[in-house]
Amino acid sequence: MSRTGTELLNVLQASRLSHAIAKSNHLLIASLQIVHVLGITLLLASLCLITLRLWGLVLAERSAAQVVREASALLWLGVVVAIGSGAFMFIGSPRHYAYNPAFEVKMTLIALAIVAELLFLRAAAAGRLPRIALKLGAGLSLSLWLAVGVAGRAIGFV
Amino acid sequence: MWSLQPLAERLEQSSLGTAIAESRYAFPVIEGTHLLGLAISVGLIILIDLRLVGLLLRDVPARTLVTQLRPYALWGYAIVVISGVLLLWSEATSVIASPAWTFKWIFMALAGINALYFEFIVARRPLVDGDQGALPRDLKAAGLASISLWTLVIVCGRLIAYLPRWP
Repeated sequence: MSRTGTELLNVLQASRLSHAIAKSNHLLIASLQIVHVLGITLLLASLCLITLRLWGLVLAERSAAQVVREASALLWLGVVVAIGSGAFMFIGSPRHYAYNPAFEVKMTLIALAIVAELLFLRAAAAGRLPRIALKLGAGLSLSLWLAVGVAGRAIGFV
Repeated sequence: MWSLQPLAERLEQSSLGTAIAESRYAFPVIEGTHLLGLAISVGLIILIDLRLVGLLLRDVPARTLVTQLRPYALWGYAIVVISGVLLLWSEATSVIASPAWTFKWIFMALAGINALYFEFIVARRPLVDGDQGALPRDLKAAGLASISLWTLVIVCGRLIAYLPRWP
């Protein structure tokens, strides 16, 4: 990690918010984890609905673009809830997370997944992509988010 | 509760229980499967509930969404149950000692009763067929109850590790 990165971590670790979270009742951390899981649930379920529709497995008689638009709103809500709760968990013990290899992998995968989603969902909602691109894009973004989940689960075990 | 203790000890000490607990990869893999499986299956149930409440896909008939999403939610749920049983197998004594586990079962039972009530009583009325837009009040109530109960199941599941025993 670069020197500025290390300094930033030290500043964060020494901050009042970090102390407050780290020293708090363990049920605060539990609550953050619960909110994190609920965010992931919203995210993955709406992405599943989008994928099922784009593969033609559900609601085939409905416009794919409309299903994508409605489910995307929930998907982004899930992303915001998961990242928001995750950020507080990180601030609570920044050095513990930053030096964890699974955490680094997870952050990289999240960045990729968000970029993929920004490009793909917009194009899918506008109905601009050929069917094969929609199917591949849906499969790719679902795999990316599942990989994020696996990496996240691994943080506690490496 | 106490009568479950000997069974829990037998499970935990069985060869499968110790194999999961001692393997470096088995426990995290099963736990990850449990978590991602529940995000998908309980999540799909919640999407159906949001349709019943009237917050999602209002112009899709509720019946269509329920029948088309149900198989995926149920298959996902089977994965969640199987991985959950395996997790329990490997650490049964500590899991059943947690009050969160007892409450998780209570909320799962209530969610199940709510789903059966919805399937066999509310949704059987002819009115629901082809119904678009806003739904009758008791359908909305069933959706809201389902969202709340499944959320509580997730909350209790996560709390098992944090509330190890009754006060």
